Amino acid sequence: MRFTLIKDLKHDAIMKPVLGGLLFFILLYLVADLFVKQSSFGLTPDTVKATLFGNEEEFLDPLSKAAFLEFWHMEIFFSMMLLFTLSAVYIRMSEGSKKALVVVNLLFISTLVSLFSLFIAYFFKQNFVTFYLLSFHLWHITALFCSLYSLKRLYFA
Amino acid sequence: MHKAYKYSILYFIVFSLLLLASGFLLFEEKIGLSVHALRAYYLGDEALFMSAKSTQGLLKIVLPHIFAFALLSMVLLHFLKFTNTKNKKALIVLIYALFSAQFFEIFAPFFMLHISELFVYVKLFSLLVYFGLMLITLHLLFASIAFSKK
Repeated sequence: MRFTLIKDLKHDAIMKPVLGGLLFFILLYLVADLFVKQSSFGLTPDTVKATLFGNEEEFLDPLSKAAFLEFWHMEIFFSMMLLFTLSAVYIRMSEGSKKALVVVNLLFISTLVSLFSLFIAYFFKQNFVTFYLLSFHLWHITALFCSLYSLKRLYFA
Repeated sequence: MHKAYKYSILYFIVFSLLLLASGFLLFEEKIGLSVHALRAYYLGDEALFMSAKSTQGLLKIVLPHIFAFALLSMVLLHFLKFTNTKNKKALIVLIYALFSAQFFEIFAPFFMLHISELFVYVKLFSLLVYFGLMLITLHLLFASIAFSKK
């Protein structure tokens, strides 16, 4: 987190490419995550429900409790590390503006809503799958915005 | 510290709590929180048709956790530098205790398999100590960041 202490990041020969690389790989991760989720978990209410609860017509078994908790546990870990790193860079690049505060709140809250909705959908109420998907897309869009905005500020501002 | 950074750290604390809760649920579901359940999971139980874990099998589970535990602890513990706690010695004890607890939490199953069955108690004890110390760390960070006027 040393970049939070450097005054002029845009003209720092070491930190500029380092942060540029980090942001580029965060972008790649976010896009890859969408493809992986689409193929292995589902990105529509019907496909997510089929993954979680199975589908007799398609001979799909439901996800076991242990497998679900394992998936949820990993989702929490990856999203917290990714968002924390991204938000630190984004806050620095937007010079801590009020807009940045709103975006950071939106980013973290939508991710938390997505994680909680998934848990509630699996254990209590299937309809929460819709909330999960809405918040999942929202946090990905917000994270994509943060990465692209930070890259723009780093290289073109 | 800028307000947006404060929020970011507070959210990280919430995520850490969620990670601990999910880990706890997962442990309870897959292994169980009793000495008997732990022994059966790692060393096998004929009555339950459970076979003992192999060293390779354990390594597969342990490998991602070695890095993940270390990363999570490093991120959380380095924020202690910014807390108002005056007793630095207590913080140092907390840091060493947390890393020691997580070492035994991760590696006790290997000792169980290769040294003595009694390490089942070490595994359970270190797990509980790890959870306790993480909660203390999260509380210290939350109290000092949420209520700081800087």
